[in-house]
Amino acid sequence: MRRAITRRSVLRALAATPAVLPFTLGRAAAHNGINHSPQTHEIAISGFAFDPDVLVAKPGDTVRWTNHDIAPHTATAVDGSWDTGPIAGGASAQITVNADMHLDYFCRFHPIMNGSLKLEELR
Amino acid sequence: MKTFLKNITIALLVAAAVPAAAQEAADLSDTEIAHVAYTADTIDIRYAHLALAISDNSEVQAFAETMIRDHTAVNEQALALLDKLGVAAKDNFLSQSLNEGAAAKRDELAALQGDDFDKAYAQNELAYHQAVNDLVGEVFIPNIDNAEVKSLFEAGLEIFLAHQAHAEKMVENLK
Repeated sequence: MRRAITRRSVLRALAATPAVLPFTLGRAAAHNGINHSPQTHEIAISGFAFDPDVLVAKPGDTVRWTNHDIAPHTATAVDGSWDTGPIAGGASAQITVNADMHLDYFCRFHPIMNGSLKLEELR
Repeated sequence: MKTFLKNITIALLVAAAVPAAAQEAADLSDTEIAHVAYTADTIDIRYAHLALAISDNSEVQAFAETMIRDHTAVNEQALALLDKLGVAAKDNFLSQSLNEGAAAKRDELAALQGDDFDKAYAQNELAYHQAVNDLVGEVFIPNIDNAEVKSLFEAGLEIFLAHQAHAEKMVENLK
């Protein structure tokens, strides 16, 4: 006699494998590109330069600039579409990366300072 | 070495249009050097306010705003450090000469308008930063005794060298 597969039996079976379920769902979701865990990337501003001056990030990630100089700086998109605003010495500011954003930026106060982001696509 | 120091001092004074006799800047104490630096910052802030009042050029205005922002930040750090060290900046012949020269230069700039002002302001900013940077890098920093004061001057020099590069670009763009 075959046992009937009921909703309750499925739930009971899943409950018995707690470690496997998140892993399985996680892999499936990652494969669909919806389970990227956003990361925070740090860029130091020091000696009137962005370090690193080129940073690879994914949509949803956070990029945080920390100013180690005395002079205030900004990170501002070359096309003006985004701007951290003034970052005083010792302070930080951050943005969230999105797929459509302009990637080249500079310091509005000191145009000799340039940097860029590179987008890594979600897989 | 003495001739070299004298030449740098003369360059600074000429840039500030000061007909003063060159004296040994290298003999100044740390608190006197701090006074010169504070004075030099304040002079550039006043040039910048003049530019904001006279110029309609967006690049010149942006540069002037940066000069006010950066030199104010440096002066705040300098005052905080002097306060921490429990000393006061001490007035001296070089600060006085700089102030006299700057007053004359401000009068000269204030008589100009439009492109003439923009070009003269940009050229003065370039010459002024070149002269101050030479003085700070070649004379002041090697002769400062206190490590924290020296470190602040090194950070300041980094800023002023960036200003010099920025001014150089502005001079080119205004040709």
